[in-house]
Amino acid sequence: MPLHPLHGPPGLLDLKSVPEPVTHTAGLLAQLDEVFESGFGRLSSANLQTLASLASSFAGTPLAEPLQAAIAGLGRSEFVDRHFAVIAAARAAAHGAMHDALVAQACAALSRPRPELEVFAAAPAQEAPPRAAVLLESVRQWLMELAIAGFANLEVGALLPFQATLDAIMAEPALVRHAALLSGFLDELLTVFPAHGKPEVPRLRWVDLWARSMVLSLAPPAPVATREVKGELRVFATDLRQHDHVVCLVAFGALHEPGKPPRVVRTSVSAFKVDVLQGEDLAGLLNEVGGKLLEAIAGGQGLKIAGMLLHATGDLVWQESRAEVLPAKLKLAEEAAAVLTTPTALRPSARPEDRHPAVIEELVWLPAEAYAATGKEPREVSLGGSPFPLASERVPVSDDLPLAELAGSKGLVALLRFDGGRWSLQPVMIDKGKPRMVGTSLQSARAKARGGNLATLKERAGKLLRKKS
Amino acid sequence: MIRPRVLPRARKVQKVPFVELYAGRLQGVVSSGSDQDRVYVSYFEAGSGNFYCSTNNNRPCGGLRGSPCKHLVELLNEGVLQYGAARVIAYLGLQAEPDKVKSGGELLRHIKGGPHKVEAGMVFSRFLTYLQYVSVAPTGVPLPDMAWFVR
Ligand SMILES: [Zn+2]
Repeated sequence: MPLHPLHGPPGLLDLKSVPEPVTHTAGLLAQLDEVFESGFGRLSSANLQTLASLASSFAGTPLAEPLQAAIAGLGRSEFVDRHFAVIAAARAAAHGAMHDALVAQACAALSRPRPELEVFAAAPAQEAPPRAAVLLESVRQWLMELAIAGFANLEVGALLPFQATLDAIMAEPALVRHAALLSGFLDELLTVFPAHGKPEVPRLRWVDLWARSMVLSLAPPAPVATREVKGELRVFATDLRQHDHVVCLVAFGALHEPGKPPRVVRTSVSAFKVDVLQGEDLAGLLNEVGGKLLEAIAGGQGLKIAGMLLHATGDLVWQESRAEVLPAKLKLAEEAAAVLTTPTALRPSARPEDRHPAVIEELVWLPAEAYAATGKEPREVSLGGSPFPLASERVPVSDDLPLAELAGSKGLVALLRFDGGRWSLQPVMIDKGKPRMVGTSLQSARAKARGGNLATLKERAGKLLRKKS
Repeated sequence: MIRPRVLPRARKVQKVPFVELYAGRLQGVVSSGSDQDRVYVSYFEAGSGNFYCSTNNNRPCGGLRGSPCKHLVELLNEGVLQYGAARVIAYLGLQAEPDKVKSGGELLRHIKGGPHKVEAGMVFSRFLTYLQYVSVAPTGVPLPDMAWFVR
């Protein structure tokens, strides 16, 4: 492997400030979100003014006219889901523009090209299952009811009936993304409601989840264009995302395809679960779909893949049957440094309709001399003497990746994130001679997971759900 | 090992396969000590402090004589393991100090209600929904919305 010069990203400190249009749009959306908290069922004059200024900010865009019509309709208490769909689309478009401006800022600071979608032949035509359209109509109806009532005024009685829709969505494989998002959203609402006294509403977060759900439910999922890839995948960083009902292990790595320069890809394995399944049970859950991926992550080995599908976004659809763990131990820090120091435009990104500041995860490699961190729970790293925030709240609590390991480490892979109005770095691999990343313990936990909670619940499910159907 | 941020201590599901705070109740399913195939459906209601325990076929629990049976005590214990004493106390609206509570059973003296029947089917169908989650096939497709869910 060629040795690349190990100088760190010089421009990270340019990210201490945020582009003015981003701050401006965030302010406008914060006002819109207040309407969601109090509810569209009782629009105050201040609310109407907020909606009017939202409409004028879209002047001259394709959304201007539908937005005018929707706001006028809502002002006349016309509660139909298409009005709310337009509001959600406008909010998503504004977040998409923020995303693009922020990615442009980050890429300029890091002196790298902006990520691009790979160009594929057209997607195969494929009908969505007929049931999907009906289920998504129920989702939109429910979301509309939430918006009319307002998040501060939800009654638990308005939340519970949605479980039946969600059960049906879970049984529909074409709607797996909806199931993951909506089960997390409903969970959160039910944690707060029924509320004693004034509920604590995480306004921005809930309106994000609401708008995301609405946009995702406007039409049944269209078929996605992909291409088959073969070559070797070398995972050098991971991240774990989860709520009570889904666990998702995301892996970032270099894909070496024959005859092409190596590039960065992202893959993930996810499983549905219940709250009590934690710790070692996560290994049991993910083993079925990604046992070989867990093995390669634990051993720092490469994976030979053939016939796996790659999305234009650089997302590899993980398929166990198309992977083989290779015996050699890799030097993952060198691998990461090689593909991240001057990455090409073909690297993980988001589809236009998915763009939102929260999905920005620009991978960076920091060599040892570029940063310093101290303490057991560091909240920032020092970049040449200047502090830069760490997104430590995003790092799962584990022995796999304790942030205390940053002190004296030999290098670092991090996701550059934007949250709470500022940029931060989320470490996803710390080079301590051997790579530290989330999920390295899952391989050995598989054995312990046997006979644990997962097995007990699966056995119960096998008996009871068969009886039910 | 990856540790949960919310679950205070590991809970084993052998005796109480299902417990939840839902719709104003601490409710769950408790295995029978004697009969492998029998389960009890138990709940405490927030505010009123009312409770009930029956088999999933709606036969009242023999241990329920004006005060909570052993299944209800187990439910409280596991509820506190699952959610922590503070959340259970707040959810049920009990007059207890979370810091002093070592096990769920200690909360019993703060339960002021009496036996009050609800249909076991209501809680039991929640259990089936719960089990459905462990029956859905895992997936290797990208789930970009999971970027919102971190703990
Ligand atoms: Zn009982």
